[in-house]
Amino acid sequence: MTIALFEPFEHVPAYPLVFPVFWGAFAVFALVVARHVRVWAAAHPGGPAPFERVPARAWGVVRYTIAQTRMFRDPRAGVMHYALFLGSTILLIGNINAVTGGIPQAVVGWPLDGILWTALVAIQNAVAIAALIGVAWAFERRLVSRPPRLLLTRTAIVILLMIAVVVSTELLAQAFEAAAWGDIPGAFVANALAIPLAGLDEAWLEAGFAVLWWGHVVALGAFLIWIPTNKHFHIYTSFVNVWLRRLTPRGRLPVMDLEVEDATFGLRTLADLGWKDILDGFTCTECGRCTDACPANRTGKTLDPRGLIMGIRRMSTAAERGIDIVPDSPAVREIRGSDDTRPDPSLLAAPLLDGAIDYDAVWDCVTCGACVESCPVLIEHVEKIVGIRRNLVLDESRFPHEATAAFTGMERSGNPWGQPASTRLDWTKGLAFPVPVARDLAATGRLRDIEVLYWVGCAAAFDDRARRTARAFATCLDAAGVRFAVLGQEEACSGDPARRMGNEYVFQMLAMQNVETLKKYDPPTIVTACPHCFNTLSHEYPDFGGTFTVVHHSAYLARLLADGRLTPGAAGTAASAPAVAAGSDAPGRPAGRTVTVHDSCYIARYNGIVSEPRAVVGALPGVRIREMERNGRQTFCCGAGGGRMWMDETRGTRINEERTRQALETGAQVVAVECPFCMTMVGDGLATAGAADGVVALDIAELLAEAVAPR
Amino acid sequence: MRIVVLAKPVPDTTGTERLGDDLRLDRLSSPPIVNPNDEYAVEQAIRLVEAHGGEITLLTMAPPGATETMRKALAMGAHGGLLVTDDALAGACALATTRVLAAALATLDHDLVLAGAASADGGAGVVAAGIAAIRGLPYLSYAGSVEVLGDRVRIHRLHATGYTVLEAPLPAFVVVTQMVGEPRYASLKGIMAARSRQIRSVSLADLGLDPAEVGGSAATTRVLAARRPAERGATRVVRGSPAEVAREIVDLLDERRLL
Ligand code: SF4
Ligand code: SF4
Repeated sequence: MTIALFEPFEHVPAYPLVFPVFWGAFAVFALVVARHVRVWAAAHPGGPAPFERVPARAWGVVRYTIAQTRMFRDPRAGVMHYALFLGSTILLIGNINAVTGGIPQAVVGWPLDGILWTALVAIQNAVAIAALIGVAWAFERRLVSRPPRLLLTRTAIVILLMIAVVVSTELLAQAFEAAAWGDIPGAFVANALAIPLAGLDEAWLEAGFAVLWWGHVVALGAFLIWIPTNKHFHIYTSFVNVWLRRLTPRGRLPVMDLEVEDATFGLRTLADLGWKDILDGFTCTECGRCTDACPANRTGKTLDPRGLIMGIRRMSTAAERGIDIVPDSPAVREIRGSDDTRPDPSLLAAPLLDGAIDYDAVWDCVTCGACVESCPVLIEHVEKIVGIRRNLVLDESRFPHEATAAFTGMERSGNPWGQPASTRLDWTKGLAFPVPVARDLAATGRLRDIEVLYWVGCAAAFDDRARRTARAFATCLDAAGVRFAVLGQEEACSGDPARRMGNEYVFQMLAMQNVETLKKYDPPTIVTACPHCFNTLSHEYPDFGGTFTVVHHSAYLARLLADGRLTPGAAGTAASAPAVAAGSDAPGRPAGRTVTVHDSCYIARYNGIVSEPRAVVGALPGVRIREMERNGRQTFCCGAGGGRMWMDETRGTRINEERTRQALETGAQVVAVECPFCMTMVGDGLATAGAADGVVALDIAELLAEAVAPR
Repeated sequence: MRIVVLAKPVPDTTGTERLGDDLRLDRLSSPPIVNPNDEYAVEQAIRLVEAHGGEITLLTMAPPGATETMRKALAMGAHGGLLVTDDALAGACALATTRVLAAALATLDHDLVLAGAASADGGAGVVAAGIAAIRGLPYLSYAGSVEVLGDRVRIHRLHATGYTVLEAPLPAFVVVTQMVGEPRYASLKGIMAARSRQIRSVSLADLGLDPAEVGGSAATTRVLAARRPAERGATRVVRGSPAEVAREIVDLLDERRLL
């Protein structure tokens, strides 16, 4: 059966008018989008390379925009959204058909006697119902159940109404058509709706059909014009945004060129953002998942990651002032001497501070990445916040004054504590075995024999509590017979705190120094018990010429256990751990204890290391793990990341106390940590919570050291 | 307004200092920094220039390598520097330093001279007063705040029970305390700008001074002995809720009869 073009619309009065009406609207849509693009084009040229690693990019689109995996983390929202997504995409077939004179129908309806088209019509009928249920559910969420992350804006309501109108007018038009002229093949819903209509007067049916059909097309056009100006624009931009997503390790911040003269360092104005950053703004669905996950926001601070992204969109839209929808022709522009295609430089120079985020909020961020992890359309918040910090530090020297001591300490003494390097090995005093130093081993030609270089990190070198962890970890290494060495005085801060506080200058200084030291000894593997050192050494040093194999101690200990080099003995046989027991606040033995694992952001979320610490804790005799609600990649920051360790937390309540509360809720007796900063924060949290019930924070290495017997 | 700030390079105060065989500080053992007290003087100078306009010149007597350290103060916002450097100055005493710096100051235009209270290495605390005396400048010390009012300078001179308001006509010499305000952390912009600022080096001959009178050979003081201070007792950290901590601290102070 062949269907001629226009034939399906023979009942539509004045059908050819669809071309000017719909395609006119489409042209306006294109012009509105083009106006957005004119601002993006004026932004900083840096950005992703769209045609690099195409398979990975394509896979991302399948996974995040088509399968919408992140949406299903909140199953209710996921199902609801998927109904709307399917509705909108599949109904697109019918819509395209209606505005092209029936091209899809002519093509698809040609073979097999039109069965394919009939099937498509049936599917469309089904998803129309699904979409309407989705809309109803969405209304219920906005208006009745109201999860706190959702904003009740007029725009959100109007978008839902528009969807409802577009879908229902189409369906009802079909129903009237079926009632007036007989069943439509495949349109089972419309045909059923036609039954009660059958009694109506022929003229009424025809008029009803005409009104509904045209109402549908007009609503479609109007919706199309309106979409690019609001959050619903994500239906197009999310594909692009996900395609363009960052494929480098998430824990790697972009390198800054510090030698450019007269440049703005970091992000100050709208135009300092890359075009992809602005595209982020136009992709945001205002879903609030980021803000909901944000520990700073949760504890009553002004930081609002959604607000930042929406602010960028608002600023970009504001910068369109003066750009005409229909630009003047080049000749007219010349005569007028004005360019209505380019944004006003003064609007591009609007500062991000106060335009999109306030000063306090910039410093409240712990760079935990919970926002990035939760965003269904892969928006990057952290880079932007650090970019603004870079500008404040490097251009203006404006930051919370407590940070000065950390900066000066890193710059002068190579550690944020400002302690002399000569005390870097103090933690080894009193250990029952020697801790060899790389320089000494190299001098006697024994460096080649080492299996790993233990990167101790500043916390373990200078903080009393973290020193105990270092002793426990070294005890595990010794018990497993691992040949290891440390750098001692030659080690300097990895630079992570400086970098995340925006002090790229000090970071690069430290990175280059450390890369040089490490290259000199060229260790086969580096192991560290500090997530920040781990992330920076493995992901950020390659940008400075240092590519090393770096392992976090959770993974390293898990491997020692798996390889049988460490065997956790029965409780009480912890003969090999006298050094740990000395001064440890770990009471009793590990037997029969319940442990909750507090994941570090830079281990679990940034690097996906989740099962390893659990393998270590789970290997201990008699230990039961009780998870917190937010664990693994969804972990909740301890409050120390992003250099917050070195700043006072004066706004809102304290993040570490919130996390401690969550840990105590599990009823566990031990909070297992894998980071010296988490140790400080959770330890303080427990002290404040008055953990009289004897709940303690212990590093996984400490738990293991208590229980290992030498092989 | 033209401000001269004395800014001395000293060994990093967080480093472990070592004494050489001659009982003098081994300056190579740790990288030098700007004398922390002088950083407050630089900060005060910058604030005055921000308010009234003008230029800041650093003045230092040190080995030639000191230009590196002086750049750190330039990065904060000073405009230029004068470094008096001469092999003959090794081992110069405080009196000689005073005379050299006074002679160098005479070559600089200045409305106000600022310095921090004592250096972190020598710690004599007399050079500033000496320079003021030689140059015949009004000398105002222990300044907790500094204000310039037209052609006069007014300071709050701190003492144990309060402060005295002092005023002097410009040019004058003011020694500041750490109460004038935290020194700023140099921005990268500042560091880059400092690279192109000029630090002039002059020798004793350029200043018309005789090495035999101001050099190390003419030192009026001599180090007879040096020893490390006794180790301080271990620090005790008190933890707990604010109320508990307060109670424990009160008990501790009480035990030691400090209350
Ligand atoms: S990184 Fe963490 S603290 Fe910063 S905005 Fe995102 S969720 Fe909030
Ligand atoms: S940035 Fe992402 S997570 Fe946050 S509101 Fe927008 S779409 Fe949702």
